[in-house]
Amino acid sequence: MNKSQSISRRTLLRGMGAAMALPMLDVMKPAAYGATKAAAPMRMAFMFVPNGVNLHRWTPSTDGARFELPFVLDPLAPVKNDITVITGLTHDKGRSNDDGPGDHARSAGVFLTGAQPLKSQGSQIRVGVSVDQAAARYMGQDTRFASLELGAEASRGGGKCDSGYSCAYSNNISWRDADTPVAKEVNPRAVFERLFGDASSGVSKEQIKRRAQRRSLLDFVIEDARALDKKVSGADKQKLDEYLTAVREIEQRIQAAEQQTDRQPIRMVGDLPEGVPDSYDEHLRLMGDMLVLAFQTDTTRVASYMLANAGSNLSYRQIGVGDGHHSLSHHQDDPVKLDKIARINRFHVQQLSYVLQRLKAIPEGGGSLLDNCMIVYGSGISDGNKHNNENLPVLLAGGGQGSVLTGRHMRVPQETPLCNLYLSMLQRAGVPATSFGDSTGALRGLEG
Amino acid sequence: MRFVFSGWRFCLGLLVLSGAFCAAAELSFHQKKVVAGLEPLMKEFCISCHSSEKQKGGLNLEELLQSGFQPQHGEQWETLVSYMEKREMPPENKPQPTDAQRSSIIHLSESVVAHLKSIVVENPGRVTVRRLNRDEYNNTIRDLVGVDFEPAADFPGDEVGYGFDNIGDVLSLSPLLLEKYLDAAEQIVDKALVKNYPPKPNKSRHEAEKMQRAGDSIRAEGSVLGLYRDGGGRDKIEIKKAGRYRIRVRASGDQAGLEPPKLGLRLDGKELKVYEVRNSRRQMKYFDHELKLEPGVKRIEVAYLNNYVNNDHPDPKLRGDRNLFVDYVDVIGPLDLPLPQLPKSHAMIIPKHPDRKSEKQVARNVLNRFASRAYRRPVEKRDVDRLMRLYNLMRHDGGNFQEGVGFAIQGILTSPHFLYRWELDPAVDGDSRTLQSYEIASRLSYFLWGSMPDDRLFELAKSGELNKPEVIEQEALRMLKNPKAQALVENFGGQWLQVRNLKEMAPDPEHFPAFNESLRADMLEETFRFMGEVMTKDLSLLALLDADFTFLNERLARHYGIPGVKGDEFRKVSLKPGSNRGGVLTQASVLTITSNPTRTSPVIRGKWILEQILGTPPPPPPPNVPELEEGDKVDQTASLRERLEVHRSNPDCAVCHNKLDPLGFALENYDAIGAWRDHEGRFPIDPSGELPGGDAFDGAGDLKKILKSREDFIRSFSRNLLTYALGRGLEYYDQSVVDEACKALKSNDHRFSSLITIIVTSRPFLNRNIETAAK
Repeated sequence: MNKSQSISRRTLLRGMGAAMALPMLDVMKPAAYGATKAAAPMRMAFMFVPNGVNLHRWTPSTDGARFELPFVLDPLAPVKNDITVITGLTHDKGRSNDDGPGDHARSAGVFLTGAQPLKSQGSQIRVGVSVDQAAARYMGQDTRFASLELGAEASRGGGKCDSGYSCAYSNNISWRDADTPVAKEVNPRAVFERLFGDASSGVSKEQIKRRAQRRSLLDFVIEDARALDKKVSGADKQKLDEYLTAVREIEQRIQAAEQQTDRQPIRMVGDLPEGVPDSYDEHLRLMGDMLVLAFQTDTTRVASYMLANAGSNLSYRQIGVGDGHHSLSHHQDDPVKLDKIARINRFHVQQLSYVLQRLKAIPEGGGSLLDNCMIVYGSGISDGNKHNNENLPVLLAGGGQGSVLTGRHMRVPQETPLCNLYLSMLQRAGVPATSFGDSTGALRGLEG
Repeated sequence: MRFVFSGWRFCLGLLVLSGAFCAAAELSFHQKKVVAGLEPLMKEFCISCHSSEKQKGGLNLEELLQSGFQPQHGEQWETLVSYMEKREMPPENKPQPTDAQRSSIIHLSESVVAHLKSIVVENPGRVTVRRLNRDEYNNTIRDLVGVDFEPAADFPGDEVGYGFDNIGDVLSLSPLLLEKYLDAAEQIVDKALVKNYPPKPNKSRHEAEKMQRAGDSIRAEGSVLGLYRDGGGRDKIEIKKAGRYRIRVRASGDQAGLEPPKLGLRLDGKELKVYEVRNSRRQMKYFDHELKLEPGVKRIEVAYLNNYVNNDHPDPKLRGDRNLFVDYVDVIGPLDLPLPQLPKSHAMIIPKHPDRKSEKQVARNVLNRFASRAYRRPVEKRDVDRLMRLYNLMRHDGGNFQEGVGFAIQGILTSPHFLYRWELDPAVDGDSRTLQSYEIASRLSYFLWGSMPDDRLFELAKSGELNKPEVIEQEALRMLKNPKAQALVENFGGQWLQVRNLKEMAPDPEHFPAFNESLRADMLEETFRFMGEVMTKDLSLLALLDADFTFLNERLARHYGIPGVKGDEFRKVSLKPGSNRGGVLTQASVLTITSNPTRTSPVIRGKWILEQILGTPPPPPPPNVPELEEGDKVDQTASLRERLEVHRSNPDCAVCHNKLDPLGFALENYDAIGAWRDHEGRFPIDPSGELPGGDAFDGAGDLKKILKSREDFIRSFSRNLLTYALGRGLEYYDQSVVDEACKALKSNDHRFSSLITIIVTSRPFLNRNIETAAK
């Protein structure tokens, strides 16, 4: 893609942002000032990076509000006051626990589930429901999409991913239920069309007719599935259930769209690239744009985003690192490799920073959209060489509607489950959860 | 592993819970003898690492001795034999048995293997229903509809299990994917069917009020031309194609006097026809005339011929003003063009267009036929009834015949009957059943073609011929020769060799400036053509490891340093004796996917050979120890090979790396994108080494010979192909099929067809277990 195209496209997305969706959110602004609760909906996102990080250059040296951003986190300077770096969290279920090797597959499998992935090449895949999907069950009822799953590296299509684990574990972080991963979308244009395709020209008669037709198609296939349901058993039945769940979800989506007749048209002034962009930076940025847009237009309130797959061996030539990320992550304390890893980590954090800055620039309910977000960014492994799962690199961005004290480095007792943070987030979003994954209780001290 | 409900398996289930009870009850005299012989030896040499407390490599010999005498333990015993034979165990730094002790362990274990193999386990297993994966979807649409445009290109990736993306258990369906199915169905119908058929002829419209006028009191009245006195309007028309045309005038008139207004229609000044316009001004009517026209620019004219005004006539009936009004003139045609050729896809779905009366019946026939092919089995009347509901709905919404049929087809393409390959359990008694002929047709076609059955398979299924093993065998061989078998080459081959991952590899351009997208495509092309030759021309499977030919174009030949190949086209090239190419191990595709972006990795290459070629993956490293990677904290002035020796100085690591690293060293003459090299930096390459067990080699040529001589390769290949064919992971009871395949290969010069024959007539390929819930 050439430069002029990319500029026009980005300009458009920003321009578009200003032109749409704000009306709806502003209507919801309460009469009283100080818009905190119920002014705008809470949003939640989870961003995953593979292979752990260079912890020495990730972890701030001092705790509390007077912390300095180390090399890896430095790109977050413009949003320093909107983040909470949390040190000391653990994913015990990412550890081997007698399952042998396969830490990379486990690190993604456990990341949002806090459950031990069943070691299997495929006869049965099983881990646990992921926090984003658990949240979506409650937070996703009023939006057209209950949740959005994004990625910037296509699922690995052949061979084996990690010692004895099906690739389903390495390619996904979102799990609808214990047995069903939720596939991620890696093509930014496809995301855009899925989210806004039918809104590109408002609601026409043609569209109303089309929706009705689509519903009759769905009715037809549901009948097929129900008739089959009486004849199948065992694993076949589970596959049929998956199909039915998918059909119902799309039905609900059409229903929601039918009820939302006053939606603002969203126009594309320029062009998104047809497929996946060649440049990884551009790809990450576009996916970030999609995430921001989806939140901004309240098309969904929950998202997950894998910047790369678990154990990814992508190289990062754009920042002068030609080696594969995974092979580098086995750094054996070699200072040259450690430096390259830190640069990759910093590159990923730059992408996070881009998303956060965009969210912060969008006014919403007396503050910014970022104020209404809770965004977890981190890895399921802390050090790529040791493959350990304690002291995970994790940060939380966004104020969670005033429920999180941001702008500080928070240290929690060693071995505190990462799921404690997830539980706290679920509770802040109004989900009536009392435990999640391997949580031992809500994370204390988030509010300051 | 799934337990079905026959006696011994049930016992086994208990065994896991409370070992002693069942084991004691089942130990035969023979087994007692084996245990008595093995126990002391194992205690001395093995148990310290492989006990209930400590299970290196996941092996628990204590348990195996106590309760490992069921068919599913056969593999463990075989592994044990193999390790002992190759002297890979015990590790060098541990006490070693004498040769007599070693052969005693081997003999006793072999007797267990032989005993377990004699137990016939008649269990075909149960394949979980398979969703069409992306390739299968594309291919099926191509064969079903006749449009080849890869509708699945933007579907989310299919999940992979056991190394392949056609495993029923793993293939899932998300709402995202279902949405894509819905969109794809719409696109497919759009591309396959011509909506406008029979096509409407062209029409050029000439608005009368804009025509050139001749005569007085002729003027535009809004959008019509008012002719109040004799005269007319004229316009140019351009006829492009000779043929019959219809000239249609829309006109009306004010009636007065004894006759109606007369409208003259003229072409190039010649009167074609005079119409009497009896309809009043507000009721416009059409006046048509058909004639043959030759190409060229012509003048068309409408004229008012009989003006009449008399407001003083004594007879009040004859008082009045007669006028003519013309709205427009349409020139429509040619009317007699032959019907256009419909695209193949359209004719495949709707072979003959119905007239109005037969539309419904034709729609039924079309949908019946299409659904039967799409569901890969005959459909019932009520299925068609339901499809007709979709057809009627679209007609009701104003769609034409094709749109009605197209809408029902969208339903078919989104139905679970199309998207999944069901093998429904009929209510019969017994643990398993033979597949029905239509199910066999699909098993064959998706295995060998990655697509739906063709007409011949459907016919054989219909007649029941396809239940006969000899027919199945014959068909499989026929299918292998069909170009569609390239799907087997690319999907099975691409995943078995993992060269599918080539598209994600990113060799560092600073280190490997020769690498570019064209070369990447060439690498894959070579491997696919090469495998295609072996598989579809029925050569020996050993050629995959070592062959005197390959497929090259100029670019790739230059990359390999092979002279005399010109141009972009790929062709079969004979390799000279002593060539450093030949076989997949020395193909650039394989060498690249087993490398890091900046350099080769003997460890990855070694692991790849063990896993993919020999099917003997190294035991996993102990938990929580990081995977070893080359480039330890060793002096960077040493060669890669010297640096790697560090791996093997630690006995814990050495067990595996003694196997892994030498295999990789043999390929060190090939750099990270598969080009030949004699040096790595300033260090000369040393491609020599020794495998555990004593096979010494010097370079890739020797390594190929060693690998060829091992049964491990054909066993591994057979296991992989059987996994791919069945769409599930293999279980112990599938072992007999693998054994049979190896035997057949050995007695048939390792020809690919002998393996295919065994697989397609095997118990698990033609049968399936019935689950109790369905009974």
